[in-house]
Amino acid sequence: MACKQWNQRATEKTINWGSHQNPPDLSYNTWKLVRFSEIPGDKVNWYFFPDQCRHCMSPPCKEVADGKAKGAITQDEKTGAVVFNPKMKIKPADFKEIREACPYDIPRFLPSTGIMAKCTMCFDRTKEGMLPACVKTCPTGAMNFGDRKDILEKANKRLEEVKNVYKDAILANPDDVRIIYLLVDDPKKYHKFAVAENTIGITRKMALKRLLQPLSSLNRLIG
Amino acid sequence: MKITRRTFLKISGATAAGTVMGGLGFDLSPAEVYAQELRIKGAKETTTVCCYCSVGCGIIVHADAKGKVINSEGDPDHPINEGALCAKGASLYQIAVNDNRLKKVRYRAPNSNSWKEVSWEWALDKIAANIKKSRDASFMEKNAKGQVVNRTNGIASVGSAALDNEECWLYAKFLRSLGLIYIEHQARI
Amino acid sequence: MTNHYIDFRNADVILNMGGNVAENHPVSFKWVQAARDKGAILIHVDPRFTRTSTKADIFVRLRSGTDIAFLGGMIKYILDNNLHDEFYVKNYTNASFIVNPKYSFDDGLFSGYDPTKRAYDGSTWALEKDENGIPKRDMTLQDPRCAFQLLKKHYSRYTLQKVTEITGTPEDDLVKVYKAYGSTGAPDKAGTELYAMGWTQHTVGVQNIRAMSIIQSLLGNMGIAGGGINALRGESNVQGSTDAGLLFHIWPAYLPTPQAHLATLADYNKTTPASKDPRSVNWWKNRPKYLASFLKSTFGGKATKENDFGYSWMPKLDTGQDASWLNLFDEMYKGTFTGFFAWGMNPACSSAHAGKVRQALAKLDWMVNVNVFDSETGSFWKGPGVDPKKIKTEVFELPCAASMEKEGSISNSGRWMQWRYKASNPPGEAKPDGDIMYELFKKLQALYEKDKGTFPEPILNLKWDYETNGHFDIHKVAKEINGYDLTTGKLLPNFVSLKDDGTTSCGNWLYSGSYTEAGNMAARRKKTDPTGLGLYPEWSWCWPLNRRIIYNRASVDLDGNPRDSKRALLKWDASGKRWIGDVPDNAVPPMGTDGAYPFIMKPDGVASVFGPGLKDGPFPEHYEPLECPIEKNLMSNQRINPVVKIFEGGLDTFKTCDPKYPFVCSTYRVTEHWQTGVLTRWLPWLIEAEPQMFCEMSLELAKLKEIKNGDRVVVETPRGKVEAVAIATSRLKPFRIAGQTVHQIGIPWHFGWLHPKDGGDSANLLTPTIGDPNTMIPESKAFMANVSKLTKKQPAKKG
Repeated sequence: MACKQWNQRATEKTINWGSHQNPPDLSYNTWKLVRFSEIPGDKVNWYFFPDQCRHCMSPPCKEVADGKAKGAITQDEKTGAVVFNPKMKIKPADFKEIREACPYDIPRFLPSTGIMAKCTMCFDRTKEGMLPACVKTCPTGAMNFGDRKDILEKANKRLEEVKNVYKDAILANPDDVRIIYLLVDDPKKYHKFAVAENTIGITRKMALKRLLQPLSSLNRLIG
Repeated sequence: MKITRRTFLKISGATAAGTVMGGLGFDLSPAEVYAQELRIKGAKETTTVCCYCSVGCGIIVHADAKGKVINSEGDPDHPINEGALCAKGASLYQIAVNDNRLKKVRYRAPNSNSWKEVSWEWALDKIAANIKKSRDASFMEKNAKGQVVNRTNGIASVGSAALDNEECWLYAKFLRSLGLIYIEHQARI
Repeated sequence: MTNHYIDFRNADVILNMGGNVAENHPVSFKWVQAARDKGAILIHVDPRFTRTSTKADIFVRLRSGTDIAFLGGMIKYILDNNLHDEFYVKNYTNASFIVNPKYSFDDGLFSGYDPTKRAYDGSTWALEKDENGIPKRDMTLQDPRCAFQLLKKHYSRYTLQKVTEITGTPEDDLVKVYKAYGSTGAPDKAGTELYAMGWTQHTVGVQNIRAMSIIQSLLGNMGIAGGGINALRGESNVQGSTDAGLLFHIWPAYLPTPQAHLATLADYNKTTPASKDPRSVNWWKNRPKYLASFLKSTFGGKATKENDFGYSWMPKLDTGQDASWLNLFDEMYKGTFTGFFAWGMNPACSSAHAGKVRQALAKLDWMVNVNVFDSETGSFWKGPGVDPKKIKTEVFELPCAASMEKEGSISNSGRWMQWRYKASNPPGEAKPDGDIMYELFKKLQALYEKDKGTFPEPILNLKWDYETNGHFDIHKVAKEINGYDLTTGKLLPNFVSLKDDGTTSCGNWLYSGSYTEAGNMAARRKKTDPTGLGLYPEWSWCWPLNRRIIYNRASVDLDGNPRDSKRALLKWDASGKRWIGDVPDNAVPPMGTDGAYPFIMKPDGVASVFGPGLKDGPFPEHYEPLECPIEKNLMSNQRINPVVKIFEGGLDTFKTCDPKYPFVCSTYRVTEHWQTGVLTRWLPWLIEAEPQMFCEMSLELAKLKEIKNGDRVVVETPRGKVEAVAIATSRLKPFRIAGQTVHQIGIPWHFGWLHPKDGGDSANLLTPTIGDPNTMIPESKAFMANVSKLTKKQPAKKG
């Protein structure tokens, strides 16, 4: 709600589809969504995954956009926030590629206007020294925001503590993203796209493609 | 060439070496893209307390120069919530800004199937007259045992935990001066 | 609450039973989590696994309506294992007090029961007093007639085996909870209990809470930081509205509404609680001062000693009359009222047996409905199945300001009175409620001036002068509530200066001190915290006297030293002859061997292990809910609470052990909605998150009834039926009760037919007309229902 309020997003008609997860999916208007996952058993496990854009260090969506629709996606210098241009129209076919490039299935699109939308990391707030809306609103301190080095340190420390109780705990793709989740169980139990399938290096074809494009993201490898 | 979801692009050292082409000016930083200031800059900040549960979280409401609410979020200085809010508190904006808010006094006549918009003056006059009529007709000075009770048996009231303390006190005063004993509200249920 | 929200972080063990703190008081979970970060554990006891359970270190299930059995077992465990805090029990409770020899308990009934009246004569429960009127005691706690031994005897019947049979909670789980919570009996450990409607909405509601009070008294958890009995109340200002006396049985600040046999002020004052014990402060002995000052604030200069300060102008109840909610709507249904105010309430959805209320509203001549949005109450005359042509009720729907559109204070569950300000104007012609009632009453006064009518005195003599420059001024009301020294015209510093001779006025003695010559205390925003315990004494103001944790003198030893140095709430400074820390309860020297007891509001000055003042007994006893799944109460031959009022016949049907209604049903809430939904269903962001009425059931029950997750179902009781979407979940599981399988289902009560159109209607169409005998709070948490698949309609389509 805090996200919707800050970003003044609209709502969609929903029904109760047998779950407390609503809206059922991320959308042009829903940039953050808690995914509920119930694992039945003698001991009930009920996992909550607050899904949102991971603001990757090297966002694949931007790589595609730079080729197909330059300017549609930018990465903020200061914070590393990956931002969709709210004023730029995208062709549906290009959007499809952009969406499929994302290991987490985040990008969404309003067909009637051709505009893409997703979490902005509240860079308009953070550049004024305010916390992102969702981080601020969380009562239990489940979210922490700050300098990447500090956050990674905090995350790793917490991981060690948590591993005492949950042996399978992991951090989700900590080297590749700025939104780092600490999961206590198999990521698949939380959400299909909780973690990227694999984090392999660039294939030769991609590397070639890259050489032919202006590549300025190198300047933005901010720690 | 399609890039599938399953792959995660990493820039390896080898490819980087030959492709540093920064500063071409193609990439706009988000500040230019959005070309807007923090949307609450210059807004009037007012502190309030959430109207939902009894935790009593502090909320800051931002209003523009015209007095219209443009934002509401947690009050970071409040010792109980420290800027945090639950889903309801975080949605407070939509109570302030909502087309469905009751804006006019409405009256439904006996046996009618619709509302009629009326003025405050008309409504309050009619209500006062109704109260007097009901009270005078049902007032009981003495009960069946002959004890003085001085109460109005024909009017009841429920409400409200949603009123401010001062309003609650005033309301209780109002009702009891009219002689009501059937006075209840949310605390009972 | 005896404590307050931030204080949760000071606990070693947090028991959340009778509530679901993470979902319904979400931000307070910040402080539960803060406690856990320091090593505290959270125990959650609930019929279903909720978001609170996901964070609980111990989660166990129990069948709705069996809390006393569960807690009775805990009392037995504590006593059997000597986990109680002996010093505390002996010195700060009435455990050592000797009870009347005529007191007895047998097969579910206490001595003095009259089955024809369905009531007890409580005289045999009285405590024995010596020739000076001081309670007799045995400080060794051995006397068979001392409260402690009677307690032991009473709960000896609550064996693990019996409790398991009744609650459906496995024995191992019971012991896990008992052991963990019982550990807080150590003087350096604190245990707190958080409860809500899961405990109050039962025919044994008050006794549920009493059971926990006994446990907290045994473990020495009352009056300490991180302890207490903490009600998570439901509305932002239900604390304030209760304090203001908006209930039939109380005037502001809990002065009992006078009954007809108390003809004069002197008669009323004769009932002032008394104690002959010099060690009991018995603060309520000051009641005459508060009453006189209240009447002065009511009638101003017109209230004089000669006219008993206007006492007879105020309405009286008949002796023993109960005009509470369920009776109110029963009277309305019978046609007793011609007029009705639903001011900021939606009884067409919030009342138990809402169907009866909807019919009752049609019997009125007129109704005034004040609200922020339209509701099922305001629009009852065009509800489903209602023909407006047949409804004669005149309805006035007055638009009022929302919380951020006016200035005033509200009191949270921790008794913190917080001032809030106006951020924007109300829309259209909506007005703040204070303005509306102010204007309305002025019109009434004018009418009665003109045509005297019947008994105009209370109306014409009412002090109603709260304006500044021709506009209603809420600050004037706040000051009236604080009180004035009428001889000087100055605001009073607090209630200690109140008098019974008409020279002081005070609208609510508990709030005296909130708006003084020093200013508006409720508006303070300083973040000092000298004790480090999160009291924040200069943030807002709390009653009484800004004392943040009440009964706090129970946290020290006889010399006034904190018994737990980690949680030093109070400490006696012998040289300065004063207490350091929280505002002391109260400012007398340490108890020593002949000083004042700490529970100053109780006539005997100590916490009640034995509680003779309630209608249904001095010890909590397990009885089954009115509608229950088993034919016999396994504890005794009294199936239900022997003193509940049964509403007989007509609309008020109930069925127990009826195969047509085989499942235990409970109502509850979700985070995204609030109460009847008038303030949440109209908000798009919230309705998007929880759009429709649902019914949660176990996977086993879903299979049994051939219901798939997401299917449309209908939930039914003898009182009504409601459509819902089925959520088949492993978070609910069937119980094994007395050898049979008992299924439990649950429904939220946030919906109403008015909006959204496909949201569903109120869960209260199903709940029964029956309430706790002391409070008359309806039993919405345990009744019997049926759920079945809705075959005629298609599953709701995405619109």
